[in-house]
Amino acid sequence: MTGALAAAIAIGLAALGAGLGNGLIVSKTVEGMARQPEASGMLRTTMFIGIAFVEAIPIMGVVVAFIALFQ
Amino acid sequence: MNHGEPIREILGIPFNLSNVLMITVSTLIVFIIAVLCTRRLQMKPTGAQNFLEWVVDFVKGIVNSNMDWKTGGRFHLLGVTLIMYVFVSNMLGLPFAFYINGDELLWKSPTADPIITLTLAIMVVGLSHYYGVKLQGPKKYVKGFFKPMAFMFPMKLMEEFSNTLTLGLRLYGNIYAGEVLLNLLVNLAKVSIIGAIAAFPMMMVWQAFSIFIGAIQAFIFTLLTMVYISHKVSDDH
Repeated sequence: MTGALAAAIAIGLAALGAGLGNGLIVSKTVEGMARQPEASGMLRTTMFIGIAFVEAIPIMGVVVAFIALFQ
Repeated sequence: MNHGEPIREILGIPFNLSNVLMITVSTLIVFIIAVLCTRRLQMKPTGAQNFLEWVVDFVKGIVNSNMDWKTGGRFHLLGVTLIMYVFVSNMLGLPFAFYINGDELLWKSPTADPIITLTLAIMVVGLSHYYGVKLQGPKKYVKGFFKPMAFMFPMKLMEEFSNTLTLGLRLYGNIYAGEVLLNLLVNLAKVSIIGAIAAFPMMMVWQAFSIFIGAIQAFIFTLLTMVYISHKVSDDH
């Protein structure tokens, strides 16, 4: 029972962090694309790189949640 | 179904048979793709040669956006190998997963194992240090640690370790979490007929997303390789 509770808390906080982080990144990218449509290719590539960086730590939280779940 | 590991002892050293098998399969597939795409090379590329030329050009763009070609050209082939190998490795665990002896997982993505991804990350960071000393000389390499401000030295040391850890664990976490969810969806489909009907579209969506994530993670790994090497090798920032 404690394994499931620990996993739920871990994945909940990880989802919160990933959601907020990705939201900030994509909103700034959309704003930049609206200001300067000809730069949208470069902005899109940088957005994907930024999302991969931000999602690295919450993904490690997901792995910790899986480890805690099956104990 | 847990992710058991088929560990057998050969000559006193424990080997994870799944890792050995999957690394061999991935190496063979990358080799076969490279050989098949370069039969009958022509100046105006046709067919499969186009694909490999696109990969080579893409990695050339990555190298160029981080270093000048004079110092960066020697890492071009490393980048092409890394991106093809990591991409094929990420894709291997998506179609099947074979279990032997109950719950020992035999067929999986090799990058779903932290040992393999951390080995790749340590190799990459080690290469950056080696080329830093080789291309800039040992004195400039050591001075680079004190470069912006002298008191940043402990943080630059920590940066090396944290770069290695996050580079390896980012790839591991993404691929392992994707595989665990594939397993959970299969378990849902086994429970009841309604579960199977519900799991079918979810499985399609998750497979597509996993292909996308595998491609993105291969690109990110290669990009970060070039960024870390460029920090040690060239200093015109």
